[in-house]
Amino acid sequence: MGWRVDNELQQMLRDSAQGYLGDAGGAPHARRVRALSDGFDPATWASFGELGWTGVLLPERLGGSELGLEPALTLAEELGRSIAPEPFVASSVIAGTLLSAATTDAATELGIALAQGRRSVTLAWQENRGSLGLPPFVTCLQNGMLSGTKVHVPGWHPGVALLVAAVSATGPVVVLVDPTAAGVTITASRLTDATLAADIVFDRVAIADDAVLLRGAAAEAALQLALARGTVALSAQLEGLAGALWQMTASYMKDRLQFGSRLSDFQALRHQMVDLSAGIELAAASWRAAATALDSGVGVDLAIHAAKARCSQAAQDMSRWAIQYHGAFGYTDEADVGLFVHAALAWSTWLGNPAAHRRAALVAYRSGNVRHG
Amino acid sequence: MAEDLNALSHDAFRARWREWLHANFPNEWRIPIIHRLAGEDERRWHRMTYAAGWRAPSWPKEYGGLGLSLEKQLIMNEEMEAHRCARVLDSGGALLAPVLMKYGTEEQKARYLPAILNGDDLWCQGYSEPNSGSDLASLGTTAVKDGKHFIINGQKIWTTLAAFADRIFVLVRTNKDVKKQAGISFILADMDLPGLTVRPIMNLAGEDELCEVFFDNVCVPTENLVGALDQGWTVAKALLGDERITNGAPTLPRQSFEMLEQLVQGLDLGDDQGVNDRVAVLLCDLHDLAALHRQVADAAIRGEVDNAVLSMMKVLATELFQHITDEMLRVSNESAGLVEPVGIGGLDTDLRKLFMVARPSTIYAGANEVQRNIISNMLLGPAAK
Ligand SMILES: Cc1cc2nc3c(=O)[nH]c(=O)nc-3n(C[C@H](O)[C@H](O)[C@H](O)COP(=O)(O)OP(=O)(O)OC[C@H]3O[C@@H](n4cnc5c(N)ncnc54)[C@H](O)[C@@H]3O)c2cc1C
Repeated sequence: MGWRVDNELQQMLRDSAQGYLGDAGGAPHARRVRALSDGFDPATWASFGELGWTGVLLPERLGGSELGLEPALTLAEELGRSIAPEPFVASSVIAGTLLSAATTDAATELGIALAQGRRSVTLAWQENRGSLGLPPFVTCLQNGMLSGTKVHVPGWHPGVALLVAAVSATGPVVVLVDPTAAGVTITASRLTDATLAADIVFDRVAIADDAVLLRGAAAEAALQLALARGTVALSAQLEGLAGALWQMTASYMKDRLQFGSRLSDFQALRHQMVDLSAGIELAAASWRAAATALDSGVGVDLAIHAAKARCSQAAQDMSRWAIQYHGAFGYTDEADVGLFVHAALAWSTWLGNPAAHRRAALVAYRSGNVRHG
Repeated sequence: MAEDLNALSHDAFRARWREWLHANFPNEWRIPIIHRLAGEDERRWHRMTYAAGWRAPSWPKEYGGLGLSLEKQLIMNEEMEAHRCARVLDSGGALLAPVLMKYGTEEQKARYLPAILNGDDLWCQGYSEPNSGSDLASLGTTAVKDGKHFIINGQKIWTTLAAFADRIFVLVRTNKDVKKQAGISFILADMDLPGLTVRPIMNLAGEDELCEVFFDNVCVPTENLVGALDQGWTVAKALLGDERITNGAPTLPRQSFEMLEQLVQGLDLGDDQGVNDRVAVLLCDLHDLAALHRQVADAAIRGEVDNAVLSMMKVLATELFQHITDEMLRVSNESAGLVEPVGIGGLDTDLRKLFMVARPSTIYAGANEVQRNIISNMLLGPAAK
């Protein structure tokens, strides 16, 4: 069903997020992180830890707050409004889901470090750009050696803890890999939201037995859940971003005078702003519906594809019109609009772009006999 | 039905309504989207539901309605949609009754509400005029008080189902010396009064439901005034909030999308990536609109109403309905030009008619451009002129 009005817990989290991010987040913070060569600010991540955000999905035994998905999504929405470059989705949601499912000592140690904001964690799963969901892995763990190639590993920085999804003789596994180990080759690229993504080649990398965090059916289920949650959380971030950019654009339009009128008085522009707002309403409705579907297990695939498609599209559309309605100023680096547009580009194209998700939604609809509404 | 329907669980309520509906809804009326019950059919439907204890789900019990929760009203609509029922306008029950409940005198309520319930009175809505459409407040049909009567002169147009109606509620000008909204009154009239004539207009879907209504010295008693004199603009706005949520439901897009899928499969286009990419956009639009509608209804059930979003849903639902019928034309080649049922994929409707039926939805109930004006006033503040 989904919600339009926060419950008490969500409201509390939203208030604290707005309080913190209002001071320490937003465009100035995004500019600071952009100036860092690693695209990652350990001090901010530590603050996220203190606020309980990095461990929002982690169980108490790992020092997490275990608030559950819906409050985590409220946070994601607020982090999106603030274009936070921190790896909340990659680390707290995706890796956090895996670490919650694992019980080995290494996973416990890492989970505790994540909950405290001492470490960020990333999962290398994708093997080809443009793939949606878990691929049949080529990357393989055999006789204690890991070999294969992963692409677009998010939230990359030298201090990150690296989890790798691979296939083994006994089914899928999630292993913890030391990025500095022999046989690991990393090529990091800068993304438009200032963070780094890595392409990683593993050439017979030695993996100790206790570095295997999840195996078989448990690994498979945790990976599925991690990607599903990550996709919904990223959708919420995108919707939050689009909503904030709408407001920024509306304020600019109310201040800027041309032809003796405020830009916000021109009907053509007002109507476009209404349509963009409707797109954002649909986006919020869609990711909430996806979260609810994930909870109930009904119509999950269609709902998640629709959500990521809609939220990505809403952020891209809002980006284009935000530049247009800011005029030439919107085309400058000095204007904050550009920071939002850049974040929207990276987020809307990661974990599947709108066109790919719409195709997948239709396939899910036709194959699953799920109702579309 | 003596028992309290509100006391039933949602599942039990749904089962009860479905059972009755399936047993009693005439098969010849199971034509979704393009068919609307009119005249004696509409009257029969009201009588059937009234006799069986299903009439007026949203009306409070004190007026003889079912006083159902919004959730249960939505359940009734869902079941009618699933059963492929023809649409019912019910101008009396849906549009006039809320106004009477809020502004009518006790005599007016006692006289008109029971006859709406039992199907004795079918009503039509006389607001629009040839020169006053979107700018409704500029309307010029006049009512002049003459002792115990009003004498009405002028013309209404686009009055849906006027030819079948027993009575009409009209907005008339009763004061020309004030701001245009402040000189309008809300008056009830019988359709068989001397001087009142109706002329049907043929529309593009081949129906003659829209009418012109002419008033030539039509004389109605002053007790037919609803609310205070010159207060008609405010009176006319008294729609039940619930009604707007049920109206915003994506029923027509959902039913038409299913027809589009029938066409795509029937034409063997399921592997055509160009078609699929367009259909996928429509599917996602429908999915997300349905999600929004459910969440808005859910919030409304808990007392939270967001007027901007209600208007947005009208815009989204009607435009999506059009986009879906547009796509039907796009995939169906020459069949789109037939004035016959297409017979593709088991679809026994006429595509031209579906296309046409979708057109006026963006014009009536506030043209979508006017809705965008209203929404933008809420989101951005009023525009300076
Ligand atoms: C099927 C159908 C049933 C109807 N039933 C009834 C009924 O039962 N009773 C009744 O009283 N009326 C009825 N109407 C009339 C309906 O309310 C009017 O059609 C509507 O208010 C628009 O008025 P108009 O047609 O005169 O269009 P106009 O007001 O002339 O507008 C034409 C177009 O101009 C644009 N436009 C107008 N104003 C603005 C603006 N301010 N800004 C931007 N664009 C604008 C819109 O695109 C609009 O569609 C019905 C109409 C239809 C199509």
